[in-house]
Amino acid sequence: MSKTALKANNSKLEWVDVIEHVYESRIDAVGLNERVASLATRSIKKESKLEALNMIVSMCDLTTLEGEDTKGKISQMSAKAVKPDPGDKSIPSVAAVCVYPSLVSIAKEKVKNSNVKVAAVSSYFPSGQVPMDSKILDTKFAIEEGADEIDIVINRKAFLEGDYRKVYDEIVELKEVCKDVHLKTILEVGDLRTYENIRKASLISLAAGSDFIKTSTGKLTVGSSRQACYVMAKAVLDYELWTGVQAGIKVAGGIRDAKDAIRYLVLINEEMGDNWLTPDLFRFGASSLLDDVLKQIRKLKTGAYQASYYFPRG
Amino acid sequence: MIEIKKTYKNYVDGKYVRSESGKTYSVKLGNEHFELPLTSRKDIRDAVVSSKSGFKKWNSTSPYTRTQILYRLSEMLEGNRKSYLSILQNSSFTKKYAEKDFENSIQKIIWFAGLADKWEQLVGNLNPVSGEYFNISHQNPIGVVFSLNKNTISLSQLILSILPPLTVGCSVISLSNDSGLLALKFAEDINNSDLPPGVLNILSGDFTKLIDDVSKHVEISLVSIHDNLSQEAIKKIEVNASESVKRVKINPSTEGISSILPYLETKTVWHPKGT
Repeated sequence: MSKTALKANNSKLEWVDVIEHVYESRIDAVGLNERVASLATRSIKKESKLEALNMIVSMCDLTTLEGEDTKGKISQMSAKAVKPDPGDKSIPSVAAVCVYPSLVSIAKEKVKNSNVKVAAVSSYFPSGQVPMDSKILDTKFAIEEGADEIDIVINRKAFLEGDYRKVYDEIVELKEVCKDVHLKTILEVGDLRTYENIRKASLISLAAGSDFIKTSTGKLTVGSSRQACYVMAKAVLDYELWTGVQAGIKVAGGIRDAKDAIRYLVLINEEMGDNWLTPDLFRFGASSLLDDVLKQIRKLKTGAYQASYYFPRG
Repeated sequence: MIEIKKTYKNYVDGKYVRSESGKTYSVKLGNEHFELPLTSRKDIRDAVVSSKSGFKKWNSTSPYTRTQILYRLSEMLEGNRKSYLSILQNSSFTKKYAEKDFENSIQKIIWFAGLADKWEQLVGNLNPVSGEYFNISHQNPIGVVFSLNKNTISLSQLILSILPPLTVGCSVISLSNDSGLLALKFAEDINNSDLPPGVLNILSGDFTKLIDDVSKHVEISLVSIHDNLSQEAIKKIEVNASESVKRVKINPSTEGISSILPYLETKTVWHPKGT
């Protein structure tokens, strides 16, 4: 089926069309690496940098996903999410806090008077190695607790075994549970290994109804990379061309400093256009990134390099 | 035979690195010119990041181990006696002066190595209070120290500008200008003496271009100047440093127990006496 024909008659891809595109996935890895490397060399001048840093703050999903998370830790982090730097009112709130389902209600209570959203990871994050019923239960629970956004993981077992239909069906089923709640699907690019696989997983997740696709869980040593982000950006653009639906991208895992984060913004701006530079369509999953961004903002304003103990913990 | 000349490099985080800027400056040694890295503002920032983690490691190393590591530093120097003497003599010093400077350096390292596990007894205090309490003033290393080396070429001077903070557990960033070559040569012996990476970073370059970056950097806790700067420059350092309540020491003493005092912070604790 031609691309124009697809665009004309539906806003959602059927499985037959999805699988056709999935099998068509071919990526020139050498060219991609060079393009991504060249985008990283752009120099950003002072005023633009300040704007970019503020933008990064507003795009952050401030995250803690540890076994040791307690009510206290979530309260502290949520307070920081609302006012990242109490000493500087011009700095916006972050986009969301991201926690385990059992801690959603605590985070929700803490951010209720702000525009900060609460995201929960579900479907047995980070492995997803449980029966479908459990994933549904996990997701339902998070939504009942009040989560505004749900981050799920794709079934990598099924994906790597080549059972793409199962991956698709699971996401469709979870999207039905989510209804209007924002669904972010984590591909875990470190497990997928090749660019082709990242593109395939992206297309499957988008076609199954994900509002966002997300690079990583942050639990692997291989987290997000700008290359993976690039592949996903192209998949999102193609999906928009075919269906008219705009989906978002969330990069997470291993993005620790402001400089790296700015390079992601450059990549998105160059490849997708500046209408993607909004928290509705682009997010950073961050724990230590926010601290560095706050430090850099104050450095730009005062000229002095900062120590992290001048900023709130969280 | 083709003569192979050494490229001297900065020593940061346990590695030999060129300046990130790629810039160098020229120093003369005998009849030869050497290009030393001209430390940039970014290099300073990298050194601070490394020193911060170095401080954590060094401060948590036991004083006894610090003693042994510093002693080993003197052993490493002794093994390279010839090359130090040749650098000093090629810097137009007499053989006698060069030998004296070198001997002096070794003696000073051994003296400070010995002090490393004894200074706490010497400078700590049990304060008299009118009550059934112990009141103890405990001394702690201040953190990351930036030290500007004197502009005259002398190994013992370099070592005395570094050792007092190092002895008490601070990490040190040392910057030398004209004496850069000797300092970078010394960096090669640090690498062999078991000092953890980041504890001592040795840089070469022009301090006047780095004044703001050093004195404003919040994570540098103390700036010690062992060189003669203009009143204007000192004033600038002090004003910048006040923003982050940073200590500034101009030509601090390098002799005896008083040499370590600037690098200490006092923490006082109360503890009830058992009866």
